[in-house]
Amino acid sequence: MSATPTPVSAPIPVIRTERLILRAPHEGDLDVLAAFYASERSHFVGGPCDRFQSWMRLLGGLGHWALRGYGWWAVECRETGALAGRIGVGLHEGWDEPELGWHIYEGFEGRGYAYEAALAARRHAAESWGLAPLISYIVPENHRSRALAERLGAVVEREGSVVGHPCLVYRHPDPRGLA
Amino acid sequence: MTRPLAISLSGVPVLETERLILRAPQPEDFEAFAAYYASERSRYTGGPQERNLAWRAFCHLTGHWVHRGYGFFVLEERASGRALGTAGPYFPEGWPEPEIGWTLWLPEAEGKGYAGEAARATRAFAYDALGWNTAISLIVDGNARSAALAQRMGCWLDGTFEHRQFGKSAIWRHPAPASLSGSAEGRA
Repeated sequence: MSATPTPVSAPIPVIRTERLILRAPHEGDLDVLAAFYASERSHFVGGPCDRFQSWMRLLGGLGHWALRGYGWWAVECRETGALAGRIGVGLHEGWDEPELGWHIYEGFEGRGYAYEAALAARRHAAESWGLAPLISYIVPENHRSRALAERLGAVVEREGSVVGHPCLVYRHPDPRGLA
Repeated sequence: MTRPLAISLSGVPVLETERLILRAPQPEDFEAFAAYYASERSRYTGGPQERNLAWRAFCHLTGHWVHRGYGFFVLEERASGRALGTAGPYFPEGWPEPEIGWTLWLPEAEGKGYAGEAARATRAFAYDALGWNTAISLIVDGNARSAALAQRMGCWLDGTFEHRQFGKSAIWRHPAPASLSGSAEGRA
């Protein structure tokens, strides 16, 4: 047995867009993530929850990459390094198919970051992972996310639910067919 | 749908004991994990939990390896290839200090010394490979089987800990690395 542990890594791709970097989540993200999940802003996406649960989600996000081969990135502003949100593709237990999701943290709204990150993530999912056009589950009252989905060209395919919560199921266009 | 290539957890060691292979969690282990969390047997480890929450917890076990560089191994029975449970070094947010944990998912795996075999091997891993100088095990009040194993491993009671989700635990302190070498409770 070696004297020092070998670093464990899951090779998570890094994507650069004009203003953002999509990168693997790491432990330094916990304070921002826990603040998001402590706030009412998280109530459309499974929150609020405490710091321990936020930590579970942070690690769970990494495990998802290892188990599924894809997952959620942390979204960083290129200019400042600030953590602006999270975005990615998830297929959790109880989900019908891989879902494109996004969370933008307080203070980073209204800049088009979610749109920019979603376009990049959606393209990567199609081109690098070969995933079929993705869905997004959105709570009907989450008007900002619905507006973004529609701006992304997604359309409501049906009313559905995810782990018991009613939601709209949006279907994204195939990015390979878009300019 | 094309399935993307699974991203492998490179660097998770494999430990071998007389009857077990201790290895990284794999997607195929989830069914046994979910069945455990659906059962009353999980009441000392945060369960029972719905299947979708069990999935989140399973992802978290895998992510722990990436974050901390160590984590729970899955115990695979050499003879059958079955995944029996988990054991290993574990240090989540809010824990008083890093611990050695163990869980048998399958009731039929109990009573054969598998948990002890795995716990000793992973304690030795924490001491030898990770360089830990001490270790604890948190055992939720009422979990007599695990407390008995802690005693057999030479642990003593060293305080209590209360967690919002898991409830009240006893803190069992393991013998330090130096006091294990050469003893019957040694490196197994």
